[in-house]
Amino acid sequence: MAMSKRRGLIATVALAAMAASAPAFAHPHVWTEMRSQLLLDDRGLVVGVRMQWTTDKDYAKLALDGMDSNNDGIYQPEELAQLTAENLSALADYDYFVHFRFNDEKQDHGVASDGIQHYNDKDGRLTLVFTVPLQQPLDPHKGEVSLKIYDPEFYISFDYVAEKPLLISKPLPAGCTAELLPVPSDTAVEETKAMLATKGKDWKPDTEEDYGGMFAQKAVMRCAQ
Amino acid sequence: MKAVVLALATVFMVLTAGLPVPAAAQAAPDVQQQQPADAKPFDQRKLLVPHRNADGTVEVVPFTDDPVLWARGQQQNFHMRMLQAMRDMGNGHGLSAGLALVVLSFIYGVLHAAGPGHGKAVISGWLLATETQLRRGIMVAFLSSIFQALTAIVVVSALLLLVAGAASAVKDAARWMEGASFALIAAVGAYLVWTGVKPLLPRLGIAGGAVPAAAGAAVTATYEGHHFEILTPHASPLPSGHVHGPDCGCGHAHAPEARDVAGDFSWRKAVALAFAIGLRPCTGALLVLVFSYTLGLYWAGVASTFAMAFGTFITIAVVASIAVYGKALAERLAGRRTQGLFWLGTGLRLVAGALIAAFGVVMTLAALQGPVSGG
Repeated sequence: MAMSKRRGLIATVALAAMAASAPAFAHPHVWTEMRSQLLLDDRGLVVGVRMQWTTDKDYAKLALDGMDSNNDGIYQPEELAQLTAENLSALADYDYFVHFRFNDEKQDHGVASDGIQHYNDKDGRLTLVFTVPLQQPLDPHKGEVSLKIYDPEFYISFDYVAEKPLLISKPLPAGCTAELLPVPSDTAVEETKAMLATKGKDWKPDTEEDYGGMFAQKAVMRCAQ
Repeated sequence: MKAVVLALATVFMVLTAGLPVPAAAQAAPDVQQQQPADAKPFDQRKLLVPHRNADGTVEVVPFTDDPVLWARGQQQNFHMRMLQAMRDMGNGHGLSAGLALVVLSFIYGVLHAAGPGHGKAVISGWLLATETQLRRGIMVAFLSSIFQALTAIVVVSALLLLVAGAASAVKDAARWMEGASFALIAAVGAYLVWTGVKPLLPRLGIAGGAVPAAAGAAVTATYEGHHFEILTPHASPLPSGHVHGPDCGCGHAHAPEARDVAGDFSWRKAVALAFAIGLRPCTGALLVLVFSYTLGLYWAGVASTFAMAFGTFITIAVVASIAVYGKALAERLAGRRTQGLFWLGTGLRLVAGALIAAFGVVMTLAALQGPVSGG
C-alpha cells in the first residue's frame, strides 16, 4: 500500500512536471500582477471584466525593443498600439485566460475591446488594460458569479496586486458583496495535492475545472436573494 | 556551369530534407484587430503568448521569417501532440496500452524525424561532404538513433530515481543536453567548412593550408641545424623525411584531429558524429518515458523509445539515400572533369558545412534561448 501511494504521489509530481514542462520548453514565464474590475450595467448585472495586467521588466525590455518609433525616448500609448493589438489577438486564442462561472457553470465571453497599454519608465514595466465582455449578462441576485484568471499551462503567472485587487465599476447594489478569496494557503495546497494523489489518473474535479483552476484565486460576487 | 546548377539543386535537396516547410504556416485570421496600413511585420517574439490554433497547437512562424521561433513552435507542437496522445490513451491499461504506445511511438518517430533535429540534415550533409558510402551513412544514422534512445532512457531513469526534482529537472536537463548537442553539430559543420576551405588556400595563394607546410619546414630546419649525418651513430643518415627533430613528438601526432579526421571515412569520426547527434535526447522520448512511468508501464516507455528511434532511423536513412543518389546523379551528369569535380566537391563541402553549422547554431539558440523574456 505504501508503495502504491508513493507511486501516486510521484505520478502527480510527474504530471505537474509534464503540464509545466511541455510549454516551458518553448515558453517563458511571464510574471503578471493584475487587478480585475467587474463591470456592472445599470440593472446591476455583471457584463464583463476590465483587466489590468502589469507584466515583468524582462517582458517590457523584450517587447519595447525598437518600439520607440519616433525616437523621442518615450513610449507613447500610440507607439504601443500595435503591440497591444497583436497581444490581444494572440490572447484571444487562449480566451484571455479569463474563466467566468455562474453557479459553477462555465460562461462564455466575447472578444476583448478597449485595449490600451502604457509604459511606466519608473519601474520599467508595461501595463496592459483591456475589457472582456460576457456573452450573457449574469444576475448576481440569481446565483454566484465567480471569476478566475489563470493559465492552465502555468505559462504566464498571474497574481493579484496587494492593494485593491478587485474593483467594481459601479456602487454595489444593496445586499450584494464582492470579494476576492484569499490565495490558497500552503496547507490547502498540500491538502489538494494529497487529495489528488488518492485519485485515479482519469479523475477530474466535479466542476470540470482543470488542475490550474484549483490553485487560482477566485473573485466572487453574490447578492441576497 | 551545369555542375554548378546541379550542385545547387543537390544542396537544395539537403536543405529541404533537413528543414521541412511547416505545413500550417497560414496567417492568423485577425478578427478584431485592424492594424495601421503602414505597420511593419510584427516581431512575433514580442507577444505575451504565441498565436495558437483551435486544437491547442501553436501557429508555427514560417522558417524564413524567424528560424529560432519556427524551431520553437515545431518543438512545442510536437510535445503537445504527444501529450494529447498520451492523455487519450491514459484510460487504457496494461498490455494493450503499452503496445499501443509502442506503435504510436514508432509512427511518431517516422513522422517527426521530418521535423527539426534527429540529425537528418547533418547526416545527409556529412555523406555529401565526405563522399562516404551510403550504407556507412545509414549505419551512422542507426547508431545515432540508438544513442538517442539510450540517452533518453538514461536521463529519465536517472531523473526518476531523483524524482524529488523531476518537475524542473526533466525540462532543464533536456534543454542543456539539447544545447550541448546542437553546439557539437555546429562544430561538425564548421569543421566541414574548414575541410572545404583548406584545399582552396594554396590555389588562392594564401599561405594557409598551412599547418602541414609549416610543420614540414620546421622539421627540415631542425634537421639541418643538427647535422644528423655527423651526429648520428647509425651507419647511414636517415632519410630527411623520417628524421625526428627535438620538437617532434616521435610517433605522437601533434595534431591528431586534423590528420585523423581529414580522411574520407573513419569509424571514430562516424561514432563521434552519431554521438553528437544522439546526445540530444528526443524530447518526445522523454515525455513518453515519464508518462509511461506514471502509468506504471515503464517497460512500454523503454520499448517505445526504441520504436521511436527505429522510426526516426528509417526516415533519416530514406532522406540520406535521396541525398546520396541525388549526388550520384549530379556527378554522372557533370561528367568526369577533374576541375569541375573539385569545385563541385568544394562547393558541396562549403555549403553543406555552412548549412550544418547554421542548423546547429539555430538549434542551440532555440534550445538555450527557450525563455523569451529572460524568465
